[in-house]
Amino acid sequence: MRRRDFVKALVATTVSARAMVGQTAATQVAPSAPPPTPPGAAPAPAPGPVPWMRGLMEVKPLRMTPLLPDAVAETTTYFFNDRQMATLRQLCEILLPPMGDYPGALDAGAPEFLDFLISVSPPDRQRMYESGLDWLDAEARSKFGMAFDAANAAQADALIRPWLRTWMPDHPPTEAHADFINVAHSDIRTATINSEEWSRAEVRAGEEPPGRGLYWYPVDPDINRRFLPRR
Amino acid sequence: MAAKILTEKGISCLMLNAGPIAEVHKDTDVRQAYTLPYRGFKQPGRLPHVFQSNEFNANTWVDEKEVPYTYRPGDPYNWVRVRLFGGRSLFWSRQSFRLSDYEFKAKSRDGFGEDWPLSLADLAPYYSRVEAIFRVTGHMDGLAQYPDGNFIPDDSPWCGCMQRFRTAGAQRGIAVCKPRAALGVDGLASSINLLLPDALATGKLQAIPNVVVRELRADRKTGLVSEAYFVDRLTRREMSVKARVVVLAAGTLESTRLLLNSKLANSSGVMGHYLIDQVYGAGLVCSVPEARDGKTSRELMEGSALIPRFRNINTKAKNFIRGYALNCYSGTHAMDPRNFKAYGRELKEKLDSYSGSGFSVGIMGEVLAHYEHHVSIDKTTVDAWNIPVLHVDTRYTDNEFNMARDAVDTASELAEAAGFEILAKNYDPNPPGYSIHELGTCRMGNDAKSSVLNPWCQSHDIRNLFVVDGASFVSCGWQNPTMTILALAMRASEHLAEEMRMGNV
Repeated sequence: MRRRDFVKALVATTVSARAMVGQTAATQVAPSAPPPTPPGAAPAPAPGPVPWMRGLMEVKPLRMTPLLPDAVAETTTYFFNDRQMATLRQLCEILLPPMGDYPGALDAGAPEFLDFLISVSPPDRQRMYESGLDWLDAEARSKFGMAFDAANAAQADALIRPWLRTWMPDHPPTEAHADFINVAHSDIRTATINSEEWSRAEVRAGEEPPGRGLYWYPVDPDINRRFLPRR
Repeated sequence: MAAKILTEKGISCLMLNAGPIAEVHKDTDVRQAYTLPYRGFKQPGRLPHVFQSNEFNANTWVDEKEVPYTYRPGDPYNWVRVRLFGGRSLFWSRQSFRLSDYEFKAKSRDGFGEDWPLSLADLAPYYSRVEAIFRVTGHMDGLAQYPDGNFIPDDSPWCGCMQRFRTAGAQRGIAVCKPRAALGVDGLASSINLLLPDALATGKLQAIPNVVVRELRADRKTGLVSEAYFVDRLTRREMSVKARVVVLAAGTLESTRLLLNSKLANSSGVMGHYLIDQVYGAGLVCSVPEARDGKTSRELMEGSALIPRFRNINTKAKNFIRGYALNCYSGTHAMDPRNFKAYGRELKEKLDSYSGSGFSVGIMGEVLAHYEHHVSIDKTTVDAWNIPVLHVDTRYTDNEFNMARDAVDTASELAEAAGFEILAKNYDPNPPGYSIHELGTCRMGNDAKSSVLNPWCQSHDIRNLFVVDGASFVSCGWQNPTMTILALAMRASEHLAEEMRMGNV
């Protein structure tokens, strides 16, 4: 569009807008001042659509505790293969079985949770778990002629105990096999003790539930994270 | 601290803060771990260098993807940052110590590095005032390497196990002392409740949240720093503001990063160099046998102690210079299962038996200031606001590793002499930076050719530029640096106010 045509178009638009305002003024349906209300009568509802946020300030929070999916749903495992999962389940049962009124790792869904957790973990952690589970199963087959998930407690103990180490936070064992056994043991315990099942057991026992803490929501989060540079 | 002092002197201040104001009642909630997405585990891959993070507090730390930094493969650095009003003063262990002349004048004693251009006597009056504000509690021990201060007296009795540890130390010439800590007010010892309210009360402080300063610029005619360019964290709007004086307190490495990106105040060439912190992570865990099997009590087990530096004071250690302190804790709480080579029912029996008998010791050791340990701008990487990031090039040397080994061996000797059972030991330090005590990189000195700042935390090159965080440190000692940073900032700010009054700045 040449500049002269653009100016013409702009003028025409302006005139049309003025004409429209004039027409609106002649057929006004939403007066800026409300009509007088008779004494004692309820005010007439304002014309036009309801403001979108009306009433939200007055509403009270729903009196409900949201249900966690773990309480009713099964986790679909997909990271570990069937053999690894069977080995992990057996490891969970050996390392943290049910004791007294407290759930074991299997009751707390620890294997299924760890399948999820490891699936989103860095590759080195994934490799340690996969190779650790494969090694444990291979050791059971080599020494006892059976899969690890078929081993009895004494056989499992013979495979696990040589690799148990004591260690301090942030400094897990680094030697092969000991790293997997000790880190997996710690993870299995955390996944179990931080579960809802364990928390309920603590409440039943009159104890303070573990895993309570001050959770920080994102503080004034950056709404433009999509601009983050790719790494 | 600078905002408090300057505004109280009648100087108008504008504070640019890279983060928002946290409101605990709105931003937090008490939750059970099982209600969180990762069941209390740290979200995998998030904050890999913040060992202190967990699923509860993850949103309080700077996201490493949002503000990345780089380091040499094999030499990781744990840069732990908070971008909220109050910064890391919101979350700290509150150990409150003075540096001694064993630190301020360390080169004069062992020939390594540089002395500070000031002494304890210069800083002592400011320490006293800071200790009063932060309500530091402690016991007067009369040790030159553990200077006494303006304390709320701690005359509490020693618990039984700590008394045994003290006796074991005394037999070896090692003083086991009461720790010193900031009580704060209403449970909090932070700039947001102890310093900023005073500054705001003057009516002289204005503050802008959520603005990230990308560059300072100097006036070409005067050479003075005159303008700060910043970007709105949320909208990416670019803005600038002029000022008569610029005071940096962005947290050691962020201050240095800003100056390096601005290409200012580095005629000495040492900006970014001499990065130091403190060795943490090495230590041990013990059990006090008399507290096992239900026999624990507060009188026997509830206590803590601090062993101030004792190496290279009156004797010379064989394979390291300087020294370390040891933090000692005991309590009636449950023990960490990682302290036992057991699982299943056997582990439960161990945990039941040993509960309430734990005694732990951890190192806080001095890291030596080497020119080679430095930060620089990595021009290949930018943060979320296109600001070039830092490259951190540092590692621990034999001095730190030997110190850590000596600390664990010495603590073991004392624990065994006290009759404790040692359950777990660790000789390996955590990565550099873990202590969250990164210091140096704009060190102070009298010589403008070998230091960035003068003894007043003022740039040698640009007289209206001050750096009042930990970047000015010449050496770090073993002490938590908070009290020293605050005392230096108070001293520098009063000097600045006087210089402004005299018309020199």
